[in-house]
Amino acid sequence: MGGGVAVVGAGGFVGGRLIEMRIIEGRSDFVPIVRAARSLGRVANLGIRHRIADASDSDALARAIAGCSAVVNLTKGDDDKIVSTTRSIYTAAVDAGARLIVHLSSAVVFGQLDRPDLPDDAAPTPVSWMPYAREKALAEDFLRERMGDGRVAIVVLRPSLVWGPGSPWVLGPARELVAGAAYLIGDGRGICDLIYADNLVRSIEAVVAHAEPPSGFYNVGDDETTTWREYYAALAAGLELDVAAVRMVSADRYRPGMRDTLQRVQRSRMYRWAKDRVSPDTRATIKQRLARGLVARSPRESPVAAPAVTREIWQLQTSRYRLPTARFARTFGHHNTTTFRTGMDASLEWLRFIGLAAGDAKPRVPGSSTLSPEAAR
Amino acid sequence: MTAPDRFPPLDVAVIGCGAVVERLYRPALIKLESRRIVRVAALVDPNPARTAALARQFRAARTFATPAEALASVAPTLTIVTSPPAMHVEHTVAALAAGSHVLCEKPMAVDADEAASMVAAAQAAHRVLAVGMTRRFYPCLAEAQRLIASGAIGEPYRFTYREGHVYDWPTTTDAAFQRASGGGGVLVDLGSHVLDFLLALFGPLTVTAYADDAHAEGVEVNCRLELSGQHADGTAQLSWNQPLLTGLQVIGSRGELIVDPSRLDLVRWRRQGATLEAVPSNATWPSDLALSGKRGRPSRHEQCIYYEVVQVLRAAMRGEDVPASGEAGLAVVRMVEACFRQATSLRLPWLEPSDQARLDARHWKGERWVAA
Repeated sequence: MGGGVAVVGAGGFVGGRLIEMRIIEGRSDFVPIVRAARSLGRVANLGIRHRIADASDSDALARAIAGCSAVVNLTKGDDDKIVSTTRSIYTAAVDAGARLIVHLSSAVVFGQLDRPDLPDDAAPTPVSWMPYAREKALAEDFLRERMGDGRVAIVVLRPSLVWGPGSPWVLGPARELVAGAAYLIGDGRGICDLIYADNLVRSIEAVVAHAEPPSGFYNVGDDETTTWREYYAALAAGLELDVAAVRMVSADRYRPGMRDTLQRVQRSRMYRWAKDRVSPDTRATIKQRLARGLVARSPRESPVAAPAVTREIWQLQTSRYRLPTARFARTFGHHNTTTFRTGMDASLEWLRFIGLAAGDAKPRVPGSSTLSPEAAR
Repeated sequence: MTAPDRFPPLDVAVIGCGAVVERLYRPALIKLESRRIVRVAALVDPNPARTAALARQFRAARTFATPAEALASVAPTLTIVTSPPAMHVEHTVAALAAGSHVLCEKPMAVDADEAASMVAAAQAAHRVLAVGMTRRFYPCLAEAQRLIASGAIGEPYRFTYREGHVYDWPTTTDAAFQRASGGGGVLVDLGSHVLDFLLALFGPLTVTAYADDAHAEGVEVNCRLELSGQHADGTAQLSWNQPLLTGLQVIGSRGELIVDPSRLDLVRWRRQGATLEAVPSNATWPSDLALSGKRGRPSRHEQCIYYEVVQVLRAAMRGEDVPASGEAGLAVVRMVEACFRQATSLRLPWLEPSDQARLDARHWKGERWVAA
């Protein structure tokens, strides 16, 4: 497929990696599109030519993607904007005369699988408890209705958990392991359905490179089937920690905790409405008082925290099946060149790079170490 | 002649009215005006929308498109220079020549020649030149200095400093991501603060090695420095795109010290073999210009701006010291230059060996530094 490839959401985790991989290869046909100049900070080392457009503004976006034959949607905004952004990107791509939209959905649209052979084009779970999953499913519905109209090819990719250096699915478990707060549900026998970030990027590129990509839904994932215990054990070994020290939580039934309540509040429109109206000063004060409260309770180092099981993690860790990915391989070929072992080695080296794993200094328990952007000024 | 105990509100000019002023200086200047310590007399920016928006909050302020117009119309006691780094030298020298004292945002300049000319201009004009190294007002720095000076940690010191997160400053242009306008990337941005912080703790340090990830047309997003001084050696690592475990760890012959720059109020330390404990800092700074006036302790980075402006005014009116003088800013710029002179390609753990080799081949030093 000729013409450029517009990458909408190029300042995010997957978008940034996609651009980095292509630039290092010497490719110049990938056009990063970001919402604001600040999003370029992540990839400022590459010295790339970029375009700025808000993905929710289809007119501005159509101008930004002019001349591109493919549009890759890697945006990650608020849950309640997923559908409207998808709609806007579709409209812009059609208006700009693009031939292909690659839309990144998520395996989460199916919730927990109850069979190993779910077809790729099966409809998502109608009503999920998780707003993100619900909105991603609605975005899929929108695109499904337009797949047959012949105006533009639409390929929807459903990655499982995207892992690797920089991923929250590496950082989060590693932090919990170091802090002694990691847990496994039901002995960790559940399936940890993973896709290494670089494998996902290669999958996206395979779709873009296809001469006539058939519209449809395609699950994507790594080749290996990994359990949560195996995943945590590999991380723990690299961190020089004993996976046997990870606490086990019964898989009998899920008991909602404080974190679920907190997540529900944080996802609510009321919370975001209020958050947008509170000054950065006040937000910083609230955060700092909360942090101070924690230190006041524990003046000496006390790293061990109780397992805080969320509904999302409970659902993920009790998965019995992974999504089948054969359809993608049949259509676009096999592109998982990074194995679990090499991906884990790179992830562990990254953890050393960021200072979490043993390296030139011993691992420390992370505290409230996130600085406000103001502190850099 | 002795300076009076109290002063009428002192006129301040602000050159450059972008995000730094909006988010950091504006709240401090509003508070300073309400306490009748300053009067914002001039707001300068080529974008009239920015000056107009700020002027709504500073009633006495006149707005100007250029520093020349402003300095010809008002005679500020203090000029705060927050324009893009490449313009700091021009704006600072102009303000000093007009008889104003200057607080210049970091990075002080894009190269040492420019920074040196700013210092010389301040000396010639007999005016104060301070650099916005706001972290000098962190109480945790004062506590760390106290612990080190007391010998509790014990020479020689081995330190590791990391600071990194995904870039999130609401910049309105991509000027910060271009070498010509920003002077560099994360090293110039975060690194100016970090190097000044380390110099304040350990005294003079030499850059013995430096690596970054900038391609020919880019600026560094990740970098790593090896530093060496008379009593301390260590590394500093900075990032605009990785969640580094932010903080300073110092290991000495007698103990260990941990400073987390997100916690201004305390440090953690331990004697060898003991448990880490949190030690709150009692450091305070003057809240006004009175000889024996009130003092306060900032608990957030933004609050440090207030104390910084007060201290620069005290230096101007009372001859007191500023924590980060022009000379201190120059020392940091020289270290940044030393880094760039010896820059090599940084090993990035997420790259496969073949990609790392390509990055090495595209590294900016090979294609840029000689020409520059």
